[in-house]
Amino acid sequence: MTLGTLCARDYPPDVPAPKPVTLPTPAVHILPNGLRVVAIERHSLPVVTLRLVVKAGAEADPPELPGAAQFVAGLLDEGTAGRSAQEIAQAIDQVGGAIQTGAEWDNSFVELSVLTDHSELAFDLVSDMIIRPAFAPAEVERGRKQTLSSLEIMREDPAYLADAVFNRVELSGTPYGHPADGTLESIRRLSVGDLRNFHARYYLPSNAILAVVGDISADEAFRRAEKFFGNWQGSAESDPPARRSVPSPPVSRDLSRRVVVIDMPEAVQTEIRIGNSGIERDSPDYYALTVANQILGGPATNRLFKALRSQHGLAYGASSDLVCHETAGSWEAKTSTRTLETLKSVQLVLEQMKRLRDHPIADWELDATRGYLNGHMALEFETSEGIATQVLDLLIHSLPLDYWSRFPERVRDLSARDVWNTARARLDPDRAVIVMVGNVAGFRKELKKLGPVRIIPVGRVDLASADLERQ
Amino acid sequence: MAYTLLKQNLHRVAVIASTLLSLLAPGPGRSAILRSGRSVPSLSPSLPAAVKLPHTTVNTVILQNGLRALFAENHDAPVVSVEVWYHVGSKDELPGKTGFAHLFEHLMFEGTKNLAPEEFSDYVVRSGGLDNAYTTEDATVFWETTPSSYLPVSLWLEADRMRNLQITEQVFKTEREVVKEERRERFDNQPYGTVIETLYEHAFNAHPYRHMTIGSMEDVDRASLDDIRDFYNTYYVPNNVTLVVVGDFDRAQAQALVEKYFGPLAPGAQPLGRDARKIPVEPPQTAKRVVKVTQNAALPAFVEGYHMPADGLPDAYPLRLAAKILSEGESSRIYRRLVYEKQIAVQAVSTGNFTEDPNLFFVFAVMNQGHTPAEGETEVEAELERLKSEMVPPQELEKAKNQILRDFILSRQSDESRGEELGYAAVILKDPNLLDAELDRFLAVTPEDIQRVAKKYFVPENLTVVEVYPTKSGTGDSGLGVRGEEGK
Repeated sequence: MTLGTLCARDYPPDVPAPKPVTLPTPAVHILPNGLRVVAIERHSLPVVTLRLVVKAGAEADPPELPGAAQFVAGLLDEGTAGRSAQEIAQAIDQVGGAIQTGAEWDNSFVELSVLTDHSELAFDLVSDMIIRPAFAPAEVERGRKQTLSSLEIMREDPAYLADAVFNRVELSGTPYGHPADGTLESIRRLSVGDLRNFHARYYLPSNAILAVVGDISADEAFRRAEKFFGNWQGSAESDPPARRSVPSPPVSRDLSRRVVVIDMPEAVQTEIRIGNSGIERDSPDYYALTVANQILGGPATNRLFKALRSQHGLAYGASSDLVCHETAGSWEAKTSTRTLETLKSVQLVLEQMKRLRDHPIADWELDATRGYLNGHMALEFETSEGIATQVLDLLIHSLPLDYWSRFPERVRDLSARDVWNTARARLDPDRAVIVMVGNVAGFRKELKKLGPVRIIPVGRVDLASADLERQ
Repeated sequence: MAYTLLKQNLHRVAVIASTLLSLLAPGPGRSAILRSGRSVPSLSPSLPAAVKLPHTTVNTVILQNGLRALFAENHDAPVVSVEVWYHVGSKDELPGKTGFAHLFEHLMFEGTKNLAPEEFSDYVVRSGGLDNAYTTEDATVFWETTPSSYLPVSLWLEADRMRNLQITEQVFKTEREVVKEERRERFDNQPYGTVIETLYEHAFNAHPYRHMTIGSMEDVDRASLDDIRDFYNTYYVPNNVTLVVVGDFDRAQAQALVEKYFGPLAPGAQPLGRDARKIPVEPPQTAKRVVKVTQNAALPAFVEGYHMPADGLPDAYPLRLAAKILSEGESSRIYRRLVYEKQIAVQAVSTGNFTEDPNLFFVFAVMNQGHTPAEGETEVEAELERLKSEMVPPQELEKAKNQILRDFILSRQSDESRGEELGYAAVILKDPNLLDAELDRFLAVTPEDIQRVAKKYFVPENLTVVEVYPTKSGTGDSGLGVRGEEGK
């Protein structure tokens, strides 16, 4: 290590621009029953991955039953009409398969990866799980117990609580403003009938996509899809079930646009979430806000990271997320800091939001962000898994399949002023939802700087209730 | 390209146990990305003939200053990954100076003769690439994954900070605070976040695996710039480095670049052999150790640690297979008994923390409400006894080998993970050829081997257990007499 001043500095070498990324063209085939099959051939490794996606996730939870979509998806591999839970597990494990099931916002899925030689088994198992899940009472009770324990553990996790409370308040009044994991109360109440109803209503071939990725030809993928999914009932003529338009139960009016603190006396750090509403995935503002989000808190320039971590040593991580659902979204900043510095960190985040709102974006920041977004596509499309994720994202949101090929052009056409104007229309630090989860004794006095504050002891938090507090 | 990551919440609990085990080593210097455990290669004897295993051709070059460079071309995607392995980790730290290796990892991003603090990452990111680093008990690893045309930049940047690091007092102080926040975020503020630390403090008395790589707050506070300078001059030298380049590049060009940028660096003056490092040997444990802690946790839990040998030794392979048989997949023995059939645990995992020196084989479980750690330990004990008393059926051994084969193949999906495996084989297993050749060692494992290692290591006098009891139920007020509306 040398000590001295910056003099006679050297620079990294100049390099040519990245080679253009050749994006794979997926082959698409629609079965007579309406199931859309997408095949992406990748023969470099002897692995085949099937991901079946149903275009209904946690946003489709009945208002009084948050957690339904995840409960249903969690039971798909726990028994079918013809196979017990243990038979399924044994069949997958024996061939070294990897299974995942779950529900996100806007979709539910089963994903199974196997070695090439077992791809027929994968089609067999995935179709069985999707078309004929048993929801056997014993498995439902087992799943209920597991979910209840999981929820109890998560209630002690400050990061989880901060995300859940922010989501509940910011997206209140949209189909996304409820706890997707459910609550202790809703999980206790969900019946076998509720689960079967959810499955019957949304798990239809015309509402689903099967992605087949890896070491299998498109022809073979389509042939196998016909064989195993061809008898799935539902017709291409019937429209997919209408997206659920029923919003989640709203939070009480005094909670929206407010500061919410969850008091957790044992916490040594405060988890902080600050944000505004965002955009839906197919919004024309998506490109400009994607760039703006990179500048605020993405890897490209990350002003939040530089302010909170590099300059002030207040946090390990600081970032922002542009979360785009089918019909709503949010734009949020997130960080965590030692208890005594909670308010300083909150104010630094707000300051960065104000800076982005009030001051033009520098050309170098736009250039760095374009460089990142365009160059990063090479990494995003490196693996079969990455390709499948990107292609399915397009199909779930009904976006064109050449979307990513056109992406660099779209980003190139944006000016710094375009990005700034779009960001300003969305960023409103003065009316942002601010959520803190931490030991309020360490920052109570300073809280009034933020205006009216709602403090809820962690033991009384009820994410289903309108004022977030158990009655 | 922002997505909702609800899935992370969904699987958050499912991964608590494995996350805990990966928490052993502090993560990347730049942001919170949890590493998954190292995947383990193997080959099933029943491997279908049609399965073509991915093979990696590795070329080795050793520079005059002692730096070893490994090149593996792969032109599947226009991406290249560079990894720089410094053979120094938390086991090289002395008592009172814990957390140094990891603190130093952070400082490597904080400026050189040529670059301002964090300008390093700016260069990588504007290409569309990503960079980060992690520290383990045994090594400190820095990596850049970029579009392939940026290879010269990554190599220049790594060579620059290998010799030109320049840290100001102010930057040093700030970074110490960042590391303390990292400890709070990843350990102290997490459910069950300090259980592993407690286990190691009791399972080890002499060997430095006793302390966590993240170190203690006190030691991190005590670190001085002089300490740091010594550390840099001793360990951050070309003769302590393995450089790994994997992906889309031309080998002749890459080799020329490595010689150009790294060749002029002077080797270190200090001896770095095993003897010079004077790492104490852990004396054999002679009696079972049980530690009970009460924590602000929702549910009771326990973690067991059995001493086991270092990675790469013959017993490591049957132990890795035993871990799969015990808890990989829903048909595995411990999962099936504790989680599925008896329903006494929400999660139960077994895995070995395989490292350069002998470490621990774990079993970790979070109990369901109303069930005690003792109940869980009894059931685990029954499964470990079964491994000793009954031979594992051939079909079940084959299942475990197939799972390992899958891990092997999937770890070749990206240049970054292939590079990590190659670096690990070279630095920790001490033979880069083991990247592919280690498969044969798994192939050779028999049911008798598994029975033998179970009998040898899964014995009470070799065991340390930490039992976690919740302090309270989740209800009640904050104890501060405050609730509801405030302000205005």
